[in-house]
Amino acid sequence: MNAVIAPEEALPARRSQTSPRGSRNVPQQWGGLLRNRTSEWHDRVALAVLGTAAAVLSVWNLNTAPAYRDDEGTYTAQVFSVYEGTLAPYTYGYEDPPLGWMQLGALAWLPNVLGLGDGTYIGATRYAIAPFFVATALLVYLVARRLGVRVPFAALAVAFFVLSPLSLVFGRQVYLDNVGMPWLLLGFWMALSPRTALWHHIGAGVFFAVAVLSNETLVLFGPALVVALLNRPAWANRVFSVVGFVVVGGIAIIFYPLMALLRGELLTGPGHVSLQDALVYQFVTRSGSGSLWEAGSDRAELVNGWLYYDQFFIAAGLTAGLLCLLQRGTVWIPVAVASFVAPVAIGAGYLPPMFIIGVLPFLALAIGVGFDTLWSWWKAYTPTLGTKERAWTNGYAVACAVLGVVVVSSLQWFGPGRAQLTQEANAEWATALAWVQDNVPEDDTILVPYVMWQDLSSHGREDPWTVVPTEKADLDPEFLSEHPEGAAAIDWVVVGPNTDETIESLGLTIAGQALDNSETVQTIGSWSVHRVQRE
Amino acid sequence: MHALLFSALIIFIALALFTIAASTLYLNTYAWWDPKTQERTFYGGVLAEEQYSFSLIMPCRHEHEMVMRATLGALLDQSHRQVEIIISVGHDDPDTVAVAQRLAAEHPDRVRVSVDDNVPKNKPRQLNTALAMCRNDIVGVFDAESIAAPELLRNIDSCFVGRNADVVQGAVQLINFKDTWYSLRNCMEYFTWFRSRLHAHASRGFIPLGGNTVFIKRHLLNEVGGWDPGCLAEDCDLGVRLSTLGREIVVAYSPHLVTREETPDSIRNLVRQRTRWSLGFMQVLAKGDWKQLPTRRRRALAWWTLMQQHFMAFAGVVIPIAIIAAVWGDFPLAVTLFAFLPLIPTVATMALDVCMLHEFGRDHHFEVSAYDYVRLVVSTPFYQMVLAFAAVRALVKFRLGDFRWEKTSHSGAHLDYVQQAGKLAQA
Repeated sequence: MNAVIAPEEALPARRSQTSPRGSRNVPQQWGGLLRNRTSEWHDRVALAVLGTAAAVLSVWNLNTAPAYRDDEGTYTAQVFSVYEGTLAPYTYGYEDPPLGWMQLGALAWLPNVLGLGDGTYIGATRYAIAPFFVATALLVYLVARRLGVRVPFAALAVAFFVLSPLSLVFGRQVYLDNVGMPWLLLGFWMALSPRTALWHHIGAGVFFAVAVLSNETLVLFGPALVVALLNRPAWANRVFSVVGFVVVGGIAIIFYPLMALLRGELLTGPGHVSLQDALVYQFVTRSGSGSLWEAGSDRAELVNGWLYYDQFFIAAGLTAGLLCLLQRGTVWIPVAVASFVAPVAIGAGYLPPMFIIGVLPFLALAIGVGFDTLWSWWKAYTPTLGTKERAWTNGYAVACAVLGVVVVSSLQWFGPGRAQLTQEANAEWATALAWVQDNVPEDDTILVPYVMWQDLSSHGREDPWTVVPTEKADLDPEFLSEHPEGAAAIDWVVVGPNTDETIESLGLTIAGQALDNSETVQTIGSWSVHRVQRE
Repeated sequence: MHALLFSALIIFIALALFTIAASTLYLNTYAWWDPKTQERTFYGGVLAEEQYSFSLIMPCRHEHEMVMRATLGALLDQSHRQVEIIISVGHDDPDTVAVAQRLAAEHPDRVRVSVDDNVPKNKPRQLNTALAMCRNDIVGVFDAESIAAPELLRNIDSCFVGRNADVVQGAVQLINFKDTWYSLRNCMEYFTWFRSRLHAHASRGFIPLGGNTVFIKRHLLNEVGGWDPGCLAEDCDLGVRLSTLGREIVVAYSPHLVTREETPDSIRNLVRQRTRWSLGFMQVLAKGDWKQLPTRRRRALAWWTLMQQHFMAFAGVVIPIAIIAAVWGDFPLAVTLFAFLPLIPTVATMALDVCMLHEFGRDHHFEVSAYDYVRLVVSTPFYQMVLAFAAVRALVKFRLGDFRWEKTSHSGAHLDYVQQAGKLAQA
């Protein structure tokens, strides 16, 4: 009988199966999920139930609340310009990388063809956001499970995410943040693969790049992703993993400046837009939102708005984030949260309202991990009890926790949540749109808020210099070459709830002049249509 | 219309180059996929008893005595006890015959000489003549300049037993990486080939064997009629034929068990060597034995592997054209961006090559300097051009039916490195 007398060689201790949290072994099948191996039945049931719930919530009352916003109008216009083979209806100025609305373009034709969205373009495009919302919810569950969070707590994290009024408001609107989120979470899911396989880490780099190319602000979560990848026991191919992650992710992102370079628009120069100009505008010259600590600043107002919708979720997530610091495998969650909080709390630059979208899944994950940790402690401190007593105590603890969550969440969630699921917030918009379509002659030049642009600039008004977004008359030099007479060329001005604010904050003189010279011909709630007076 | 056709052509070329580069990335990094893959590709361990006896063939042609003596010395120093060595020489090479006979006379009980009188001369003919003289269970082949590791045969023996193998392919490593601008790339090529690529092939049931440090059961070798006397890549051909028979071919690696060799001593010799290999692969592809592999997937893999030389020639011709077209061709933006797609796997491969160089240095106790890392990256395109040139040259020769043997000569540049590494490992 032969026996092995010597191991092949003194290999350093190599751990191929490590738990990301370092405390409990992650089920083997999570490594194999990529290969379509069947996972545990309870995971499949949980995914099916949570996915269905997220899908229903993502389309429930979708076109009537929240109210359509100008940014949504801009992205919708860009989505539909993809079908024309261009990146934007006007000169594309590198405000965002185009991959986000290209993805929406790949989806938005379907709701548009099916007539979803009340027959409007902006409404149909909201439906294209739904798959991204559902994917984000499911990935919250999958990432939680990769962290070893027990099924009920992983499901609870998803429940927090999809039920929060913040998600119901921001998560269902046409924002690029919503498009990028599932790619970002997929990156985390791959980076946390228990197989510590090179391909998973290269995949994490690729998905991170896709997330950033969908919405550049998600680059903030890069450090958290690196921490997630590295902060666990060393493995044999670690150097390869890190290099593969950084290099492949990096080259994929480089395709954005490469695109600018190929269009001759990488660096600033006369007679053309450039990526450099766009970056300088975003980070340097754009008027900021003020400091969070200055009462009444835009930033303070915005944060107050977020807290109005769901201070419970934000507070619970931040607190649970501290619990995540206790275990090596979950330290990346507070890093992600801090990457979001720092620019909000310290910065003074422009803060977009939808910025909150990026942190919601991480707050939800923190809550899942927090509950799971508390449960582990509970179990550890009650080992001496008998089976029956233990069952009673466990039941009592669960009941208290559930009751607490239900009471607090219903106090916080019921009002704003119900509003999103029942409110009618776009009726005036729709009536105003219909009035303009019916009453404004097709050849007249009309200034409209971006939120109405795509739906007006079809049906006989295809020329982008006949139907013009409010800010374009001032900010796009091409307006003056199309209409050398300037403000005098404008026949109509449609004023929405935010038009005055837009004119003021961007200092729009042509639009302001046209509006000053006009008289109101129709008022529909917060909307009004103005006819410019001729001398 | 023309613009559309050119765009389609650019997209096709980009897709082809992307696929070629991605498959290279896949094969090169296979061993580093995950820690389990890495562990699986190591030798399994040494068994207490030796089970098989070995006949080692050492084909020589126009060799220096110093080189032959060093190679033979390493084979005689094997810790395995049942080893005979047959030095294979050609009758038209009297100097080498004389050296071989002198060496054999020094070890009459373990070393014999096989003189091949076939014409024309080539390696498979010499091997077949020597095979007829082999008496032991397993036949192994070592090139004239290959320094075997002392524990190698013990491990190979255990591998045959433990893995129930018919063939075991050990690893060869070029080591004189500091000598010339191309030798570092050449060394890394061997490193990825034996550390990674061959394992990927073995795991998928199709493997072109190497011609060195390869071990085959003698009865099996006799059954398949030995090596193909007309094939320039007789080792690859044998691998293909054994793969079609469904034989168990095991590839094993351990840094301290690699057989150490030197790179060709000039670019001219490197080109000749690669032309010979490329021609050999083209011959094997044309012979078509691979079409008898059992599954479609394996046939596809075989075709893909044997086509590598064609791909290399294709890439060599097309890449410069593609770059010019992409930058100055004035194609639609999407097409131009598409043309840059192969850059992703190419740059990733180079970055991971840097990681491999680090591992190469660690495994073999070499001091790799920052200059070496830079040299590795900078020399890549030039090295690829040399390989592409050799592939194009082979393609021309293949069309002309010119299958003359161009032998690689050996100078013994690796012997210093073997000594140095030995000292470092002991230190």
